[in-house]
Amino acid sequence: MISSRWTPFLFLAPALAGLLIFRLAPIAVAVGGSFAGVSLMGDLSFVGGENFEYLFTDPQFWSSLKITLWFNLLINPLQLGIAFGLAVLVFRPLPGLWLYRTLLVLPMAVSTGISAVLFGLFLDANLGPLNGFLEWVGIGAQPFHRSEDQALFTLIGIATWKGAGYWMLFMLAGLYSIPATVYEAATIDGASAWQRFRYVTLPLMRKPMAFVLVADTAINFLFFAPVYILTSGGPGGATSLLMFEAYRSAFTFSDIGRSLAISTILLGIILVIVVLEFRLLRTPEERA
Amino acid sequence: MGFSMHIGRRQFLAGAATLAVAGSIGRAAAQQVTLSAPWMGWPEEQVAPLMAAFEKATGIRISAERLPITELFRTLEVRLQARNELPDVYLVDGPLTASYAARGHLLALNDMLADSMDGFLPTTITQGTFDDKLFAMPLGTSSQLMFYNKKLFADAGIELPSAKPEERLTWEELLPIAQKLTKAETSQFGFAFENTNPYQLLPLPQSKGVEVIGPDGLTASGYVDGEGMVAAMTWYQELFQTHKVGPVGTFQTGVTQEMFGSGKLAMMIGGTWNLLGFKKFETLDFGVAPHPYFANAKAVTPTGSWHIGINPRTAHMEQAQAFVRWLSTREAMDLWFDLRQYPPSLETIWDERAQTTFVDPAWEIVRHELANTATPRPRTPAYREYEDFLRTAMQDIQTGADVQVTLTRAAQSIDREMRKYR
Repeated sequence: MISSRWTPFLFLAPALAGLLIFRLAPIAVAVGGSFAGVSLMGDLSFVGGENFEYLFTDPQFWSSLKITLWFNLLINPLQLGIAFGLAVLVFRPLPGLWLYRTLLVLPMAVSTGISAVLFGLFLDANLGPLNGFLEWVGIGAQPFHRSEDQALFTLIGIATWKGAGYWMLFMLAGLYSIPATVYEAATIDGASAWQRFRYVTLPLMRKPMAFVLVADTAINFLFFAPVYILTSGGPGGATSLLMFEAYRSAFTFSDIGRSLAISTILLGIILVIVVLEFRLLRTPEERA
Repeated sequence: MGFSMHIGRRQFLAGAATLAVAGSIGRAAAQQVTLSAPWMGWPEEQVAPLMAAFEKATGIRISAERLPITELFRTLEVRLQARNELPDVYLVDGPLTASYAARGHLLALNDMLADSMDGFLPTTITQGTFDDKLFAMPLGTSSQLMFYNKKLFADAGIELPSAKPEERLTWEELLPIAQKLTKAETSQFGFAFENTNPYQLLPLPQSKGVEVIGPDGLTASGYVDGEGMVAAMTWYQELFQTHKVGPVGTFQTGVTQEMFGSGKLAMMIGGTWNLLGFKKFETLDFGVAPHPYFANAKAVTPTGSWHIGINPRTAHMEQAQAFVRWLSTREAMDLWFDLRQYPPSLETIWDERAQTTFVDPAWEIVRHELANTATPRPRTPAYREYEDFLRTAMQDIQTGADVQVTLTRAAQSIDREMRKYR
C-alpha cells in the first residue's frame, strides 16, 4: 500500500486549483485593478485610491448603492419566505403533487436573459397580456418596468418568479431530512400544529435556511440580466443596481478602473452581509 | 482461401496515422479566410446579399453577426477593449469615428482609398474623419421623411400634407392633426417618431437654434440641461403624456414600424429605409412629406449613417482591406443602395439614378434636406457616453419623468464620463 502525508493534498489539489484559477485569481485581479487607471490607448497605470475617491464623491454611485441595498433588503427575505412556504405546500402527499412540483421548478429551465425578454413583452404597456387582463378586471393598465415607482418591484417579481422554485428544492430537502419521530414526539407531548412548526421545523431548518439565504444573497447582489435587458438602469435611475453600474462603466464608458472599484466594493458588502447572515442562523451548538 | 489481413497493433497505428495525415492535408486545402464582422441587426435579406456578392467576387467569406443597435455598440466595446485581432472589420456609426480613432481602434484609410476619395460626398467624408485622417469609410448617409397613412387621413377628412419642402408642416400645425387622428378606443395613435434617441430627437432643440453640447465638444452641463433643451424636451413629453397622440414606452424600432404598417399609427417620422421596408404591408397606402419644424424657426433634419472600419490589430489585414476597397466600388454601393436605400455617399450613384429611382417625390425631399437642412450629430470623442446617457434620458422623459431633473442628471453623468477625454 502506498500512502504518504501528501495524499490528502494531492486529492484536494484539482479542486483547490479550480478555486484558485476561477475564483481567487480573478478576485485578486479585480481588487488590484481597482487601483489602476487606463489611458485612452489602453495603457495601465497605478493611480492609488483615485477610483475610489471619485466613486465616493459621485452622487450616482451613492444612489446605486442605496438602491442595491434596498433591493436586497426586500428580495432576500421575500425569496426565502416564498421558497419555504412553497416547500411546506408541496411537502405532504397530495394527488397530482408531481405536477405542482414540476410547474414550480419549471421557470428554472428558462435562461435569465430569455425570461427578461419574455417579461418585457408580457408586461408591455400597449400590447402586453397582463395589462390586457388588468384592464379587463377593471384595475387598469400598469406601467410596471417603465415607471419609477414600480420598476424595482417589477424586477423583484421577475427574479422571484424565476428563483422561487429553485430555492424551494433546497428547503424541501431540508424538510425531508427532519425525522418523523421528532414530530411524533412533539404531538405526544401535546404540541399544536403551529407549535410543532415553531419549535421543531424552524430550528431544524436552520442549516438549509442559512444555505439558501447566503447563496441567494450573493446571487441577488450580483443581479444584472433583467436590468441590462429591460430597464438599462432606468427609468430615472430607479433600477440602477451596482452590478449594472460596474458593467456600464467598463463597457459603455471604457472606465475599467471605476468598474473594478465598484466590483471590489460590492464584494466587500457581500462578505459583510454573508457573515452577518451566518451569525443570525447559527445553531445553538455553534453558539457555544 | 481468400486474402485476409491481420489487424494487429501495428496495422491499427499505421492506419490511424495515414488517416490523420490525409485529414490534415484535406483541411489545409479547405481552409479559407473568414472575416469577423459585427453588423447591424437589419433583416437577413438586407445583409446576406452584400456578403454573398463579396464572397463571389473575391472568395473571402464574411461572417456578419447581426445585432440590435444597443447590443452592437456594447459588443464592439467589449471586443475592441480586449485589443486582440477580433473583429476584423466592423460597422462604425458615423459620430463614433472620433471615439474609436482616439482610442486606437481604427486603421487610417487615406492611403488605401486615395484614388476613390474624391467620388464621395464631402459631408460623408467629414463624418468619418478624425485628426485630419479618414478612419471609417461612409457607406451612405441618411435622411428622414414624414410618412403618413393616406387612408386614415381620408377617413378623418383631413387634407394630405404637401410633399414640397417649401410647404413643410410646422410642429404647431401637426399637433391638432395628430389629435384628430388619435382614437383611444381602437388603439389608433396620431403620431410617433421611429426612434427615441439623440439621432431622432436632437432636431427638436436644434430647430430652435439651441446648442446641444459645449463648443469644445467636452461639456454637457448648461447645454444638455439648458433652458432650450428643457423647453424642447418638455414639448416632446407633452406629445405623449398630455396630448397622448403617441404610444408610450415603445422603444423598439420594429414595433413602431409595425404599428404604422398595420394602420395603428397615422404619421411616423422615419428613415428612407422604410420606403423599402413598408412594401411588405400590402394594404398600406402611404405618402411622404418633409420633416416638420417649429414655426418661425429653422428646419433641421437628422443625418449621418454607418461607416466601415478596419481593426488595426486584425490577423487578416489583406482581406480586410480588400473588403473595404470592394465596398467603395460603384457595384458594391449600387447593391447596398438596392438593399437598404440609404442616400448614397458615392456621387456616381446619385447621377446614374437621377432619372430612375430619384425622381420619386420622397427622393426629391431627401435631396433637398441633404443640401439644406441636414445637421450632423455633435462631433466629440465622447459621443458614445453622450449618446448613451441622453438616450436613456429621452426615454425616461417620454414615459413621464421630470424633464429638468432627468436632463440635469444626464448632463452630470455625461460630464463625469467626459473627464477622461479632457
